[in-house]
Amino acid sequence: MHELALAQSIIEVVETRAEECGVRQVRAVHLRVGEASGVLVEALQAAFTMLASLSPVLAEARLAIEVTPHRAWCEPCASSFAVEDFIARCPACGTWSTRILSGTELQILDMEVGADNEQGGQEQENNG
Amino acid sequence: MPRVTIARNILAANEEVAAEVRGRLAAAGVRCINLMSGPGAGKTTLLERSVARLRGRLAIGVIEGDIETSLDAERIEAAGAQVVQINTRGACHLEAHMVRDALEALDLQRLDLLFIENIGNLVCPAAWDLGEDLRVVVVCTTEGDEKPAKYPQIFAAAQVLVINKLDLLPYVDYDPERVRTQALAVNPSLQIFSLSCRSGEGLETWCGWLWHVGRAPERSSLPASEGPVIQGDGAAS
Repeated sequence: MHELALAQSIIEVVETRAEECGVRQVRAVHLRVGEASGVLVEALQAAFTMLASLSPVLAEARLAIEVTPHRAWCEPCASSFAVEDFIARCPACGTWSTRILSGTELQILDMEVGADNEQGGQEQENNG
Repeated sequence: MPRVTIARNILAANEEVAAEVRGRLAAAGVRCINLMSGPGAGKTTLLERSVARLRGRLAIGVIEGDIETSLDAERIEAAGAQVVQINTRGACHLEAHMVRDALEALDLQRLDLLFIENIGNLVCPAAWDLGEDLRVVVVCTTEGDEKPAKYPQIFAAAQVLVINKLDLLPYVDYDPERVRTQALAVNPSLQIFSLSCRSGEGLETWCGWLWHVGRAPERSSLPASEGPVIQGDGAAS
């Protein structure tokens, strides 16, 4: 239900970055979204497509989403395990873990830009 | 095809505003609780009772989030709190900029504790940091007793759980122990209060805790603050 607000936020971030870098056309936006972040990937795709169509810079952009698994680290076992249903309990030894390794991300990684843009690649090192 | 690095949290803009809110509240010495639940769990009644019981001992402000109407704000104001109403006109959660704007209407210097009553929804509010110190989730005995298992994210992101409407236990098939077990499975450090706003059972303990939160001199000494770090917390410290 809140995917529309997330899509709006993504578009604002990407538009700002595109303007900073003189990018006229964004081809794709790469996201990393955790499986435990509460985001419905299909709903986010639909919301993005709808809102991006209204943006001159993003009208042609697709959203590429990498979904990360919800995993935690067990200190006694010195190994990681899959968190099922948000219950971060080591299946091997039963220890509760508070160290979540992945699965809650909501990150915009980067964007692919059209070859006709002036800058593009040289901005790689600027991690804003 | 050339790539341009962005490396930003999707909610970074919200988190920046939340950090600003947190800073303003900290500077004014005001503690802030983000109160969340599904519709009808009793957030407003809990606030009404808490404000009335703590009147004269703790100065409480409330930012009242509702999709429409100011009915809840009127109830809480009558109990003796400074109240600001936010109507989201359909949006399913509050965002930090709404709270920042609402702060303008409050006299922070005269407050000890600020509640933000979020929109009745167990899904969306979990993702938005509003600049609060603590998150409290309310469930009640007339809902199903599987809420923590069905909506784990909001319970995982909270420090405190309130189980409300205990007075109705004889009439419903609700197992509070099941709720506690499920909630602690997703969040082992969750602090749990069981109470009834109607009968008053458990309210004294709850209000004692609120008083402690409102009067805690340092943020680090807040009760239950050792729970999982709230998303965006780092930006404030």
